[in-house]
Amino acid sequence: MRSGLQLIGAAMALSSFGTLGAKETKTSLTPQEIKGAIVLDEVALPTPGEFFAAINKLDRPNWSQLARKAGPLATTNRAQASLNLGTRVADGYIAVESQDGQQVKNVGKDIVELAKGLGVSQSILARGNSISDFAENNDWNALREELDATEGEVKHQMADQKDNELIALVTIGAWLRGVQAASTVVAANYQPESARLLRQPAIVEYLVEQIDGLPNRLKNDELVGKVRNGLIDIKAAVAPSTAPSAENVKSIQQTTSQLVDVISGPAASAK
Amino acid sequence: MKRLFFPILALVLTASLQADLATPPATPAPAGDASDSAEAQARSAALQLAGAFSNDGYKLRDGYYFGDLDPKKSTVIEVNLFAGDEYWFCAAANDPARKIAVEVYDEEGKPVEQQYYSDGANAAAGVVAGASGKFLVKVSLVEGEKSQFCFVYAYK
Repeated sequence: MRSGLQLIGAAMALSSFGTLGAKETKTSLTPQEIKGAIVLDEVALPTPGEFFAAINKLDRPNWSQLARKAGPLATTNRAQASLNLGTRVADGYIAVESQDGQQVKNVGKDIVELAKGLGVSQSILARGNSISDFAENNDWNALREELDATEGEVKHQMADQKDNELIALVTIGAWLRGVQAASTVVAANYQPESARLLRQPAIVEYLVEQIDGLPNRLKNDELVGKVRNGLIDIKAAVAPSTAPSAENVKSIQQTTSQLVDVISGPAASAK
Repeated sequence: MKRLFFPILALVLTASLQADLATPPATPAPAGDASDSAEAQARSAALQLAGAFSNDGYKLRDGYYFGDLDPKKSTVIEVNLFAGDEYWFCAAANDPARKIAVEVYDEEGKPVEQQYYSDGANAAAGVVAGASGKFLVKVSLVEGEKSQFCFVYAYK
């Protein structure tokens, strides 16, 4: 607690609307409550922005070094386009962290381009314009929310056009690129506290389940199979309950880099 | 969970809620069936509450959960948090809910150190994640009858 007295003051200040204060709950959840917990993609999975915010509190990485140029966007493989769209959303967060307005705009254009290829561009065009406007004004906080909203919009449109199976792939693409960037940062200056942020076994398990739930035509896609195998490798690397070792962090970095390269083409620095 | 929260937040929240409560919700309920309208109403209220934190640097997540709130059965929602990040989990329920509560637990279901905000059918819980991983947020109906609610969260 920073200051209990200040919080009491805060609660008094809010008394005309409600009550604010510290809470001491003594009752635990029942096993039934835990088992019945709702797992919903939109709230259960953190954005790359949340991930990067945690990293920024431990270290102040040079995010601009992590920016990359997109490979070719055109593909007839919808699974690849969906995964790639996810990676570009994560690239947007990286560009925001490095406060590079031009790179944010480039990423915004790529997201719109990929969304067009997937037939979900209608309202994404407006999102692309908003991203460009916020980037123009260096409104980094608004950009973080806009990237999250853009990803959400793409997924909603996918659901509307009965492309639900592609939604999971967008999520996976964004997560992989986020972990790739984060593991690169952690590997460059290994500290157990930072490495602990890479330990996300529940998320990896959830993503593997999402792939396993895909229709066979997608599950049998070579790229999707590679992604699944990569997730299994990452799961093994974060299996111990302690922080991943420096060696395991490198392994996560290599696996995610290989996957991101296969999804989007070999990385090229944006600079 | 270690330290919690910021005195300025209270002032920010007060000012924002004063402004928000003085004006009608910015997002009108879309035309459609009653369920759509209930969802829009609950979401608008939840966003209003969570939006109050954005003045203190919190980023609002776009995703949300909308569902039933039963007096006999709380709703538990899974979230994945990062150590060091600060979160406010906000819920707003429609009539006939009169009072709701939001509480945060670790993945084993044990309560974590947290702050709360309560204002009738609107409530929030704030935590600083002490560890990365799965957490569970419980939304309960304290007073009133079965209703519907919306859950959103903000982070920084």
